[in-house]
Amino acid sequence: MSTLVQYIPGQTAFHRLDPRAKIIFMLLVTGVVFIVQNLWVAGALLLTLILIWSLAGLPMSMLKGLGKAMVGIIAFLFVVQALLYPGETALIRPIIPSRVPLIGGVGKVTLEGILFALLLSLRLLATVIVLPLVTITTPVHLFLLGLVRMGLPYRWAYTTTTALNLIPILQAEANVIADAQRLRAFQVFEKGSFLEKLRAYPALVTPLVIGAMRRAQLMAVAMDSRAFGATRDRTYIQDIRMRAGDWAFIGFSVLYAALAATLNYLIV
Amino acid sequence: MTHPSEPTIIVDDVSYRYPRTKRYALRHLDLTIHRGEFVAVLGENGAGKSTFCQALNGVVPQSRGGRMRGRIVVGGLDTQQATVAELAQKVGIVLEDPETQLFTTSALSEVAFGPENLGVDPEEILRRARWALKAVGLAGYEDHAPTALSGGQKQRLAIAAALAMHPAVLVLDEATSQLDPMGTVEVFSVVRELNGQYGLTIVMATNKGEQVAQFCDRVLVLHDGELVAQGTPREIFADAELLGRVMIRAPQVSQLATYLEGRDTSLADFPITLDEARQGIVQLIGEAY
Repeated sequence: MSTLVQYIPGQTAFHRLDPRAKIIFMLLVTGVVFIVQNLWVAGALLLTLILIWSLAGLPMSMLKGLGKAMVGIIAFLFVVQALLYPGETALIRPIIPSRVPLIGGVGKVTLEGILFALLLSLRLLATVIVLPLVTITTPVHLFLLGLVRMGLPYRWAYTTTTALNLIPILQAEANVIADAQRLRAFQVFEKGSFLEKLRAYPALVTPLVIGAMRRAQLMAVAMDSRAFGATRDRTYIQDIRMRAGDWAFIGFSVLYAALAATLNYLIV
Repeated sequence: MTHPSEPTIIVDDVSYRYPRTKRYALRHLDLTIHRGEFVAVLGENGAGKSTFCQALNGVVPQSRGGRMRGRIVVGGLDTQQATVAELAQKVGIVLEDPETQLFTTSALSEVAFGPENLGVDPEEILRRARWALKAVGLAGYEDHAPTALSGGQKQRLAIAAALAMHPAVLVLDEATSQLDPMGTVEVFSVVRELNGQYGLTIVMATNKGEQVAQFCDRVLVLHDGELVAQGTPREIFADAELLGRVMIRAPQVSQLATYLEGRDTSLADFPITLDEARQGIVQLIGEAY
């Protein structure tokens, strides 16, 4: 998980795209994922992202890791939707008959509920894949420059990319804290029950948050000392330029999003 | 003490306390640092060294908040009136932790970060960046990721990043405290070189007595926010009573000389470096036989 937002150098066509083209693609896909209600369209969206992931030469093991990390949330979605979605086609009949007031019908699992949970899961997976697809294939300074050239104020763009940069750093710090706890025979995160883990989290999170705040304060001193935000006319030693291929990819992204949105309404 | 060059830093009766605290981190500091001096700031933890360093480029009190009395003028700019960005062109600062002050993906972009913020022309930035990397011995490292460098290299990169702003003063706030002996010598050597070759004024908060003795012109001793002593490294390290009171450690050879003095055996010219101690001991043995 620690490298999910970190740049992995590569020479594929997707790597070479202008960051703005990739950011527009990301925004369009995210937008479509939010409106899509059709299972087949959601499945096609996810498959397209996996295909691009593969074409960009990114390790499939990372995708598997991402899938594993989402298993808990997806299982929760299935349980909740299967039991609570107001469907008609019962796969499992209710434990308590429907005629009982208030609690009648509890335990009924419907086909509609299962399909809705599947739809939500596909949308969720597409959403969590699309951001790393862009951040892993774009050096962070070019990602930042892309945001700035799209009109985002430098300060905001910098905050966004710094947040992305901090994820692996915080992950590493959390590992150090966990190791320090293990050295003092603290094994709740390996052997404890769910409730024990829940109770133990403050011991992990408190030093992590304090450390992060201290780091942020020192970073602010270092940035101030190097004139961060001194002028609106900031210059850049490296600039980006849209080429024909980038415009073509944006065109493809718009058409793709429009097709997905249209099919979402056409396919019943 | 008289000094041939003009004052670069004037600290005029400065007291400062952080927000939400009653205790003053700096108390009635009064001192002058001249152009081209290499000044060490010594003191135990909590003595006010970092606060003093950050006051020199206006981060204290402008970014940190709190209340400051008195006045600090650096390169003609009042640190409470000029912006931190203006001051950044007069004072470069290198912090203790290499990780928190390097935030880009390559050495070149790290060094370019400051001038880019000032809106300097890209060609001029590249020229400055190459010069700064060369000055700290990192020419050829332009495309290296800062995270892949050693501790000493990271601090040298942080120095280069400060140099690219063309400051007149370089402040190092415990910049070698997290480094191994090799890294420490690397940083001190580069700083000495910059001081000698380019006349850069250096203010270095540190507790490394051996290097202070070897490289610095003058020592300021802070204790509980006050300037309790200042003088040459020899004057400071020979004052055993002062060192004990403010809990700072002299170089080992100076400790040996103090120990021998306590037993009525003085080395000629109180030694602060290994060479001086060797000469003193050779002379002492010669006199005995």
